[in-house]
Amino acid sequence: MAVLEISDLVVSWDPATRQRLPVVKADVVARLRAAADARAARIVERIPTDGPNLDDAAVDRLLVRAHTELQRLGEELHMAQRFAEMLVPVLAAARDGGVHPLRVVDIGCGLGYVVRALASSGVLGPDVELIGVDFNPALVGEAQRLAVEERLPCRFVCGDAFALDEDATLYLSNGVLHHFPADALGTFFRAQDRPATAAFVHYDIAATRLAPLGAWIYHRARMREPLGRHDGVASARRAHGDDVLLAAAAQASGMETFLFEPTRHANPFCAAMRPVIGIRPALTARFRAELGRRAKGLVGPR
Amino acid sequence: MIPITLGVLALVDGLFAGFRAATGRNARIRKDAYNRRAAWRGLGVGAAGAAAVGLLVAIGIAVAADPGQRYDELVSAGGRMLLVLLPFAAVVVLSLISYLLLPMRESTFVMVLALGPFTLVRPAVAAVAGIVAAVGSTDRLVWLVAAVATASVLMVEPAVHRRWYSEPV
Repeated sequence: MAVLEISDLVVSWDPATRQRLPVVKADVVARLRAAADARAARIVERIPTDGPNLDDAAVDRLLVRAHTELQRLGEELHMAQRFAEMLVPVLAAARDGGVHPLRVVDIGCGLGYVVRALASSGVLGPDVELIGVDFNPALVGEAQRLAVEERLPCRFVCGDAFALDEDATLYLSNGVLHHFPADALGTFFRAQDRPATAAFVHYDIAATRLAPLGAWIYHRARMREPLGRHDGVASARRAHGDDVLLAAAAQASGMETFLFEPTRHANPFCAAMRPVIGIRPALTARFRAELGRRAKGLVGPR
Repeated sequence: MIPITLGVLALVDGLFAGFRAATGRNARIRKDAYNRRAAWRGLGVGAAGAAAVGLLVAIGIAVAADPGQRYDELVSAGGRMLLVLLPFAAVVVLSLISYLLLPMRESTFVMVLALGPFTLVRPAVAAVAGIVAAVGSTDRLVWLVAAVATASVLMVEPAVHRRWYSEPV
């Protein structure tokens, strides 16, 4: 039975124009019921409608509320520090390799917590441009508002991260990979194997047996929005295993790919989030050197 | 000592409840002042609850036929309450210190394994403490005080949340 996330179903975009499409509430409810997820169906039934369609403004407010809560998870799991731990060595290797300019793009940034936290700390250095990209204009608008309010040196763009005017030096994402079906992951990683790109770092939930239980406890304790509680557990159930991610990442054939501290190398609780990393072979030695002893945590395809 | 310890516990719990009530409602990066303000609000609401319990106790003692015996009965119930609350509070404080002091991965371990679940079981722990305090006595005032004290502690977070943090900042 397919595991569905409500947040994937309540908004829809035209793949060609990226224009927002109306979402018929009854269709979403039927899909969730067909997936034997009555609870999720009830959550969607409570969303206000505009005729037969879900009300766009109500959906946007709901998603902003859920993402605002979700940021707490990122804060408590130290996601900005975790990204910095990988990004600082990658960018040091890129600088050494003469890569310029240094542009970091967050794919599916939501409210842009990681980008804004990295911008706030300044840990990546003043020569790094930070950009968050998401298809959802409501989330991008909120991310930009928050960045302006705190005068953070970063910006947010609504659209396709792979269709920006300039490619990224480094692509990152946080909790995005499980939204792709396993057979679509290869396309996602291949899209990042472009000339100007030196590396990618994508964090997602480690697919351990305990992950759904841990997600349930955590979301029950920390989240108020029923949508957030539901999707948090669904995310853990949908998470891709280490081998699936490594095989998909390897399709970016111009990169060396690794998992950092994958499940079998770490305590299942501590490995709640772990990254898949791709880096140009010319930069790998320097990246390892910058990581120091932590480089032992890098595990490539078997 | 027992009434003071219970009062301090209620106030500290109010601080944390205020903090929790405000979490997930502010997506800014720098929000220390916001969190401090929320904690003070929790303290204020918690203090109001504690004052209500104190007033109830004072009235109960004032109208008792034997004020001394009733006071002893209430203190004894408070002691039973502490038997449940103090170990829990100690473990929570220890976990919190660990979360703040340990390196990134270890502190995540503490968060996922301890602080999250502790938040989840906190209402049950408070309820058990109230029940343990009440069942050891036949005095209906003790039952009432135990019930009101438990309810006043548990209502701080939802009250602060509803009053100040029902929507994102």
